[in-house]
Amino acid sequence: MAEEHFVIVGNGPAGHQAAVTLKEKAPDAYVSIISRSRGSCYRPHLLPDFIAGEISEDALYVCPTDSYKEKGVKLRTGQRVVGLDLKEHSVALDHKEIVRYTGLVIAAGGKPRIPEPLWIFQDLMLTLKTLEDAKAWREKLSRMDSVLIMGGDLTSFAVTKSLLRLNKKVYFMLDKEAFWPLRCDKAMLEEAGHRLSQRGVEVLLDRRVKSIARVSDTACDVQLNGDRVRVGIIGAFFGLVPDIRFLVGSGLRIDRGILVDEYLNTGYASVFATGDCAQIYHPEIRDYWVSIGHDNAVNLGRTAALNLLGGRVMVEAAQESIFEVQGIRVNTSWWMEF
Amino acid sequence: MEKQVIYSTEPEDFYYMGVNVPCQAACPASTNIPAYIRALYEEHYGRSYEINHMANILPGVLGRICSRPCEDKCRHGETELGHPVNICHIKRAAAELKQGISRAAEGPLPSLGIKVAVVGSGPAGLAAAHDLSTIGFSVTLFEALDKAGGMLRYGIPEFRLPRKVLDEEIERILETGVVLRTRTRVGEDVAVGELLKDFEAVLLAAGCYKSLALKVPGESLPGVYPGLEFMMSVCSERPSVIGDRVLVIGAGFTAFDCARSALRLGAEDVTICLRRTEEDLVVTKDEVLETKKEGINIQSLMLSRRVVGNGRLEGVEFVRTRPGDVGPDGKRAITPIEGSEFMVPADSVIVATGQKPEPIEAGAQKDEQGLLVADERSFLTSRQGLYVAGDYLTGPSTVIESVGMGRRAAEKIARDLTGRAFREKVVRMEETQITDRKRTWDYLPRQEMPTLQPLKERFKGMNREVETGLTPEQAKEESKRCYLCYLHYEIDMSRCIYCRYCIDVAPRDCIKLVKEIQTNDVGAVTGFVETTRWREVNAVVIDNSRCIRCGECMRVCPVNCISVTRVDLTERWAAEGESHG
Repeated sequence: MAEEHFVIVGNGPAGHQAAVTLKEKAPDAYVSIISRSRGSCYRPHLLPDFIAGEISEDALYVCPTDSYKEKGVKLRTGQRVVGLDLKEHSVALDHKEIVRYTGLVIAAGGKPRIPEPLWIFQDLMLTLKTLEDAKAWREKLSRMDSVLIMGGDLTSFAVTKSLLRLNKKVYFMLDKEAFWPLRCDKAMLEEAGHRLSQRGVEVLLDRRVKSIARVSDTACDVQLNGDRVRVGIIGAFFGLVPDIRFLVGSGLRIDRGILVDEYLNTGYASVFATGDCAQIYHPEIRDYWVSIGHDNAVNLGRTAALNLLGGRVMVEAAQESIFEVQGIRVNTSWWMEF
Repeated sequence: MEKQVIYSTEPEDFYYMGVNVPCQAACPASTNIPAYIRALYEEHYGRSYEINHMANILPGVLGRICSRPCEDKCRHGETELGHPVNICHIKRAAAELKQGISRAAEGPLPSLGIKVAVVGSGPAGLAAAHDLSTIGFSVTLFEALDKAGGMLRYGIPEFRLPRKVLDEEIERILETGVVLRTRTRVGEDVAVGELLKDFEAVLLAAGCYKSLALKVPGESLPGVYPGLEFMMSVCSERPSVIGDRVLVIGAGFTAFDCARSALRLGAEDVTICLRRTEEDLVVTKDEVLETKKEGINIQSLMLSRRVVGNGRLEGVEFVRTRPGDVGPDGKRAITPIEGSEFMVPADSVIVATGQKPEPIEAGAQKDEQGLLVADERSFLTSRQGLYVAGDYLTGPSTVIESVGMGRRAAEKIARDLTGRAFREKVVRMEETQITDRKRTWDYLPRQEMPTLQPLKERFKGMNREVETGLTPEQAKEESKRCYLCYLHYEIDMSRCIYCRYCIDVAPRDCIKLVKEIQTNDVGAVTGFVETTRWREVNAVVIDNSRCIRCGECMRVCPVNCISVTRVDLTERWAAEGESHG
């Protein structure tokens, strides 16, 4: 029998957990993680605490890099997957290497979403997805005292808390895009705005960015419909979009994420998707959903691995609400926790 | 020494071209893409344009709005090779950089004294009229609307296709001697039977001007517009009133044009609603991106169930869909998810889910919908002398497909009326030298089309072209990326010494040790049986379907046993047996 080679694309919480589970359950198999970033798996949900200076970089990591070797997992860092050939059972890497697999788990995660009309201002915005992003925030916060938060995803509320603890002046733009991809109504926006205002945040409701201009090393002018704000840092928090560009044309069913069934299978027996990049229809909300949050990612990573090995483990859905993320009801109350 | 040129019409050579020059094989008009890209690289812009024009009579138009099936097949887009060459925009660059028309327009040949009517001046009709006229037919082109161009003029907004470009290329077609009769609706102003008395053949290429309905309750509410009618109102500068919130239901170019036009007409919130996913769109990626940049939402996996309103439009109720497999028609199956109903409010709904032809009474066999039946290869209807082509025959297709079909229909009509062939496809082979293409060019990033910025500039009128065109420098840089797949590399086994140097330098598995070469029934090479055992090796071959024409094998070969042949799939005049152009 040919040797098993399980390839995991992505070294976030879901990918890491999938690799660990595969190696535990199938110790004779080769397990490789291919990761675009360098270094070990870390906990992205702790990045707001890191930028507030409340935890060290070491505290972010799930495990040291050496532990992959100890667990028998081959970690290939700094390598980007650019294509998938389902017929040949192979992935292509940016440096033109072809890696064959017998089983594939795609845990490519998400990347910060910037709405297309704002793309031309991207260079003037900070996002917070990676450790490198967090380091950029720390450097800028050491020199600047005011921040404009655009968007309104889970991370933006956590970052706002960190900024308030650092005594920064925070402006927060709330509009209909705020909780993308959720559909939010006026009442939700008003309540979120109220919560933020109570904590001293200056809330800008229903504003649109008309232009952004850097006026000095430490200040940008943001022209909105109606007024103008001068701030040091502009943070873009419009949610994450699955980082699956490399799968376009591969034959996998793709929408916002990779469309999978309740077993995280893509429709191809040996190919699973998990974590932030897996999109599942959920009857409770009567809509498709891309799961977010560290704990969910770990669970999904384990589920994908078990099913790749022949299991029939269904994706867990919270009973009360699938928006339950790390103890926070995502559908109604990021701001309730605020 | 004079170069040896061979012309072939052997099936195996056509097969070779189909496999090994994938961009040209994918082009419905069979445009010689490597040749025009190379000509642009050499800064022969006029020649680049003319190579295009030989196969595709509208290079400036299609350099903007082509659906680009060639780019989907470009070898540079294969998994580990990066991104396809920006073929379409190189075509536009050639059209813009040429100094007038570099050579005299072809033909016309001496008059044959045979009159042909072409009905419809869209891409199929224009192509057919052009080809018939240049070989000596007296062509009258009938158009129901005010000006020639069909869907190009009345279905595509000016911010994507400037009318000056369209007018110039139509004018060039008319200069071949085509007589244009506008505001003449065949079937109403003049009967097909009348035309058949005056002309020896009539080609109906009247397009698809009837919008398909959603067939859901509430569709007749005020504020619900058929997509094509909406676009025609925009293109005729008499746009409909649409309000602030606009839903566009549909996934094709018309849907996107409707959405972007609605935004320019002042709508605040425009959403395109897809039954399938963004990945299933046939609209080009550039188009999708620009649409999103302009602030239009694209929502997927939703199927309209009913239009909601009580005398006045309130919105549309949708259900979520589950995507299935792609069927033989190239479309992905979808299944509605019961119980997933949701409502989206709207002031206007534009239904752009497709079009179909309008019936024309012609005294020939019809199908159950009253549309003329014709053979898709001969274009003939059941009535002598009456032909059908373009979207009128096939239903909605792309502009380049219509151009290709219009040309094929013209050739068929010409043969039927005269009993002889005029143009024929031929594979032209010419020994050549290795190009100056550098290996580092494989790593050049794709040059993307610059667009009008800032965004507000786009909304200052309906005619501000969004794509501003590659600069000459960008076009040349992009042209370097083409692998020039029309170059055929071959090892002369009688001289090969099996040193394997070529294999050592091969950038991918393009040079193979084989024990058997597989062929099909016409003698074309279809595959190789490879081996890793020396004693089984019968040949060292270059697999041109994998070759990226880097030339490294030729450079290192110690015995010069590797040759390069330029192979062009082109046309020639059938009568004289000479190359056309």
